[in-house]
Amino acid sequence: MSLKSFIKSVRNSKTIAAERAAIRKESAKIRTAFRDVHLDNASRRTNISKLLYLYILGEPTYFGQVECLKLLASPKFVDKRLGYLATMLLLDENQEVLTLLTNSLDNDMKSSNQYIAGLALVTLGNVASPELARDLYANVDALLGSPHGYLRKKAAIVAAKLVNKDPDLSEIFLPRVAPLLNEKSHGVVLGALTLMRAIYNNDESSRETLKIQIPRLLAHLRILIATGHSPEYDVRGVPDPFLFVSLLSTLRLFLANDENNTNLEPLNDLLTQVCSRIDSAKGTGYSVLYETVQTIFTINSDSSLKVLGINILSKFLTQKDNNTRYVALNTLLNVINYEPLAVQRHRTTIVGCLQDGDVSIRRRALELTFAIMNQQNVRVLTKELLAFLQNSDDELKEYITTQLCIACNKYRPDVRWHFETLISLLKLAGNHFSREIVSNVLALIMQNTDLELTKFLVEELISSSQTHHNQFALALVTTWCVGEYADIVLGDKVTADSLVTLIETFLNISTFEQADAIQIKTYALTAILKLSARASSPQCIERLRKLLVSFQSDYNLEIQTRAIEYAEIFGQPASIRKALLERMPAPPVKLHEGIPLVNRGTSKPTKSASSQPATTGDLLLDLLGDDETQKEHEAAPAPAKPQESTLDLLSDIFGSSASQKQPQQPPQETVIPAFADEHLSFEIIVKEIGSGRASLEGRVRNLGNSVVSNISVLCAVTKQQKLQLSPIGSNTLAPGATSSLGIRVTGQPGAKVKVRVKLEYNAGSQVSRQFDSALPMTM
Amino acid sequence: MSIHFLIALNRQGKLRISKWYTSVPDKQKKQTMLKVHRLISSRDHQKQSNFVNFENQKLVYRRYNGLFFVMAVDVQDNELSYLEMVHLMVEVLDSYFNNVCELDIIFNFYKVYQVLDEMFLSGEFQETSKQVVLDRLHYLDNLE
Repeated sequence: MSLKSFIKSVRNSKTIAAERAAIRKESAKIRTAFRDVHLDNASRRTNISKLLYLYILGEPTYFGQVECLKLLASPKFVDKRLGYLATMLLLDENQEVLTLLTNSLDNDMKSSNQYIAGLALVTLGNVASPELARDLYANVDALLGSPHGYLRKKAAIVAAKLVNKDPDLSEIFLPRVAPLLNEKSHGVVLGALTLMRAIYNNDESSRETLKIQIPRLLAHLRILIATGHSPEYDVRGVPDPFLFVSLLSTLRLFLANDENNTNLEPLNDLLTQVCSRIDSAKGTGYSVLYETVQTIFTINSDSSLKVLGINILSKFLTQKDNNTRYVALNTLLNVINYEPLAVQRHRTTIVGCLQDGDVSIRRRALELTFAIMNQQNVRVLTKELLAFLQNSDDELKEYITTQLCIACNKYRPDVRWHFETLISLLKLAGNHFSREIVSNVLALIMQNTDLELTKFLVEELISSSQTHHNQFALALVTTWCVGEYADIVLGDKVTADSLVTLIETFLNISTFEQADAIQIKTYALTAILKLSARASSPQCIERLRKLLVSFQSDYNLEIQTRAIEYAEIFGQPASIRKALLERMPAPPVKLHEGIPLVNRGTSKPTKSASSQPATTGDLLLDLLGDDETQKEHEAAPAPAKPQESTLDLLSDIFGSSASQKQPQQPPQETVIPAFADEHLSFEIIVKEIGSGRASLEGRVRNLGNSVVSNISVLCAVTKQQKLQLSPIGSNTLAPGATSSLGIRVTGQPGAKVKVRVKLEYNAGSQVSRQFDSALPMTM
Repeated sequence: MSIHFLIALNRQGKLRISKWYTSVPDKQKKQTMLKVHRLISSRDHQKQSNFVNFENQKLVYRRYNGLFFVMAVDVQDNELSYLEMVHLMVEVLDSYFNNVCELDIIFNFYKVYQVLDEMFLSGEFQETSKQVVLDRLHYLDNLE
């Protein structure tokens, strides 16, 4: 059967089973043929070509490796051509049979037939291992001096490959660079550039010698610029854009950190010429202009050239072609630090890209919009971003709320504007706020000393909540404010009764996730208690009491406990309550560093030196405080005093009973670090353990520099024990952020607790980790 | 600056050409192909660019009728230039096969590899002149 009929039989198979059968049958036939010691090369060719088809189909081909080597050892060109082709595809540098190839390669590279030598060269370039590199470098070196340009260009690239495999070979090939650069053939020059870059990257001691050649590279660049039309290399009006790109990127590599090199001045001139010479109306020119812009920003170039570079990128942004806009935004993100003002000038174009059809362009435009934000444009850009938020993809919303809150903290023109922006954000994307940012917002409200403004804010929050009550962050912030600032808003417009109704509405929303609903409840509890000290009508107080009592049978233990404790305070005389439930002292607002949205692989300088680096763990993670928060509060110098006084008040009433003295403090926790890799860490926090029950918290923290998404945590315990798992608070974590889930284990008292955890997440690619963790104590 | 792998696959994900310039175990190649197909076939070709980040690399691809030609390159590489190269490669194939179609590539896959070996070498651009490549290929074919 010929190759053609084999391909046909596979293609004509009606079912997958029939296809498999055809493949298996032919595969068996090929094996049988290869076992024949008298197989002639014509049949061997047919069988190897079928073997290659098997390779494309993804079938095993290892049994034919030696046959390929037999075929290429034949003296006939047709045999060699297929033999080498198959060897390149089926073998790589890790195969043991490669050692059998050395002799054939050695002989063929010495062949007087340049095409046979070419085949051997290309094969070496594809499969070279460090051993082959050492065995055959002399052949490659000889071919670099071959009279045939066809072989010299191949040999140069193969030499580059060998240098990558064995850096010691750099000094062998270094003297070969100069003569290659003198040639006119673009193929040979391209090869020489590849070789130069390989040597430069592998051997530091050769770098100065390589740099001597820079004027030659500039000469090639000058010729390209001056070339009008070259029929051989023309790609839609641009003379060999590939050589342009290779020359520029080589120059960039050599001159990146060499600020005083004498070649910089002529290069600056040439770059300006490239910009004016290359007609950007044609697509091909863009690849050259793009490389030129990157070169401008990598080497020490004139400021005017940098502005020119940014203008080129902004011209890219107005193009219809998605690819051009994509690279322009990417590059602008990388260069904004060099010429921020020049980028600012193209604000409208950048903002326009927020409406692009391509989500990756929208993402980059979004990041760039935040990058160009400053005191002067914060109002107009915020307006654009709020409009964008209305129609944006859900996955971008948390990024926008976070970044915009950070930016507003930094650049706000006045507090009222800031508050208005926050309310708009909460209304539009209240379900896409991270915990840290909610805490930040609350801290900000508490810091404001202008009570009129606070009144305006709280009234706005309350009225927004009527229409947007299912926005979680809005509900949370409003609940908090209702408790804290009821006294300043109560009046004609807002009655205590309406506030109680509002809290009830929040509590009845069923669309919140479980963890969110619990948080609303804890906030509501405090609001109820505080409201009881601000409301005057007995009916209203009675409603609050009933609401509080309803929590005393909540299925969540913590809420239940807190409700009972609060009921105690609720029962105290009004005067004591008033003193107890005074307004919270303002905590400091934490500054967060902006997070990058797009992972660009290359590191870039931090956007702003003025903002403090983000520290992990937020002061206000949970305003109602577990003990960790409490401790940090005490540690923070500013609010320490008022905090203490509140505590004193509490201790006066409740005497010495420890559990009542600090009702907000749960028992001492044990933290067990269970796992950590470069992206995430997982800790198990033992909250309560004993009498056959263990209440644990799993805490995932993002240790890396990029956002980790799709986090899922699965747990298992031994068969004798039962496990209850609450969903993770947030399955996407910004760098430094944490998220928790509840783990409850019940079983035989006194038994050991062992948890097996399967942690899956996406940090660029999907990762799955499994680990076991045993608690140091028993149930 | 170099190509990690170069593949041609159709919309159903059937592989027509795969050429690896880095050493990767067969099993991993298969998985990568599946991922590349899933990633690329789900993209909107009207509205999205021809570049997409893929693991630690970047895919530069273009669709010609039912066939995708994909190159995996380094993240910091000039994607526009590689896209031009994909196009040049398809132009060479088109001239070589005289109006290339998917069937030509299926039945003459080994010839496609011969074309690639004249244009690229160990992942680097070897020859950028369409005419030089075509002349050479015709000469080699006459030698057989």
